Amino acid sequence: MANLRKIFSKIYDRYIGKIYRFIFFKVNSQEIAEDLTSETFLRTWESFKNENQEIENIQAFLYQTARNLVIDYYREKGKVQLISADYHSPIIDPRQNLEEKAMLRSDLNTIRMALAELKEDYQNIIIWHYLDDLPISEVAKLLGRTEEATRVLLHRALNALKNEIEKA
Amino acid sequence: MTEKELIGKIRELRQIRPRKDWVLLTKTQILGGVEVRPQPFLFPFFRPAYAGLFVVLILIGLFEFSQSALPGEPLYLLKRVVERSQAVFVSESEKPKLNLELANRRLDELNQVAQNNEVKKLAPAINEFQANAAIAAKNLAKVKKVDKEIVAQIKKLEENKEKVEKVLATKIEMEEYDNDLAKLVENQIKDLETRTLSEDQQKLLEEAKADFEAGNYSDALIKILDLSQK
Repeated sequence: MANLRKIFSKIYDRYIGKIYRFIFFKVNSQEIAEDLTSETFLRTWESFKNENQEIENIQAFLYQTARNLVIDYYREKGKVQLISADYHSPIIDPRQNLEEKAMLRSDLNTIRMALAELKEDYQNIIIWHYLDDLPISEVAKLLGRTEEATRVLLHRALNALKNEIEKA
Repeated sequence: MTEKELIGKIRELRQIRPRKDWVLLTKTQILGGVEVRPQPFLFPFFRPAYAGLFVVLILIGLFEFSQSALPGEPLYLLKRVVERSQAVFVSESEKPKLNLELANRRLDELNQVAQNNEVKKLAPAINEFQANAAIAAKNLAKVKKVDKEIVAQIKKLEENKEKVEKVLATKIEMEEYDNDLAKLVENQIKDLETRTLSEDQQKLLEEAKADFEAGNYSDALIKILDLSQK
């Protein structure tokens, strides 16, 4: 058991940031993102320590659990996915120039809001490939598509994001 | 905005991170409150890898401390065990010297006990000295050739014994030792009598015989030693 804890501790350290961000882009709330992320890891830990349930791909398991929880969250609470323009994101920026900082924050918020407007597959493929640095082969597995189809989807997702930014 | 610029901006969203304190708290809650982050060891000796070293250091400390122990004290037994184990590695020809040295150490301890007026330790100290003197006596009987160091140890033993007897105002009996020392001197004299000696050597032998007759065995041994070196 102690060994399982040790292994899961490493998994937690490796994926906590990615899963939090993945959920945060979908719920746009730090508080809800924290709740759903801890629930994701709690459920994964329960399955992980269960001898009868073998997890083949922990990364895929975590993302799938997170996706299901986000879907449940919107379904059960009857929430509408809204983006608040007043929302203060915890973006940390090392730049000192205030004007530059304001421009950057504005830029990033625009992209974040545009990303939230995309359909789920587009959102996921952009997050996984460009933010989490997953190779196309991994993304294809997570999406259950061929690599070729994934490349096409990624191209479409970027175009969709560009359109959303231009609309903003 | 070009595709490259857009990808660059997307990547800047990596700045979105969960709060560090929340990350740690959640981890502790999920993993059953067990501290999974390795903490620096305040006491490295508690690490299993250091257990052996820790034990060795304790033993070295005890060993050092035991060297000043006196008869009747708990660590005295350890001191004696260390001395006995040292004796195992000494050759038969060196054993008489070592046993004389040990007898002298026992006399030093007895002297210390007597000087400090530690009445309770007096009996065990005298017993320890007599036991060591008996062992030294047995080994004296095996000595074939007297050397400088043996004579020095015998002389020292006599002087120490006199000092202790003065402090205690009583005579310490070591009959066995005296008998074996007498035998040693006698054997040495007999051996020399069968040899051809120069005038000076003959003179020293006569003086040694006189000391032997008077019971001054160590003085007799000194003369025998001088004689053999001429």
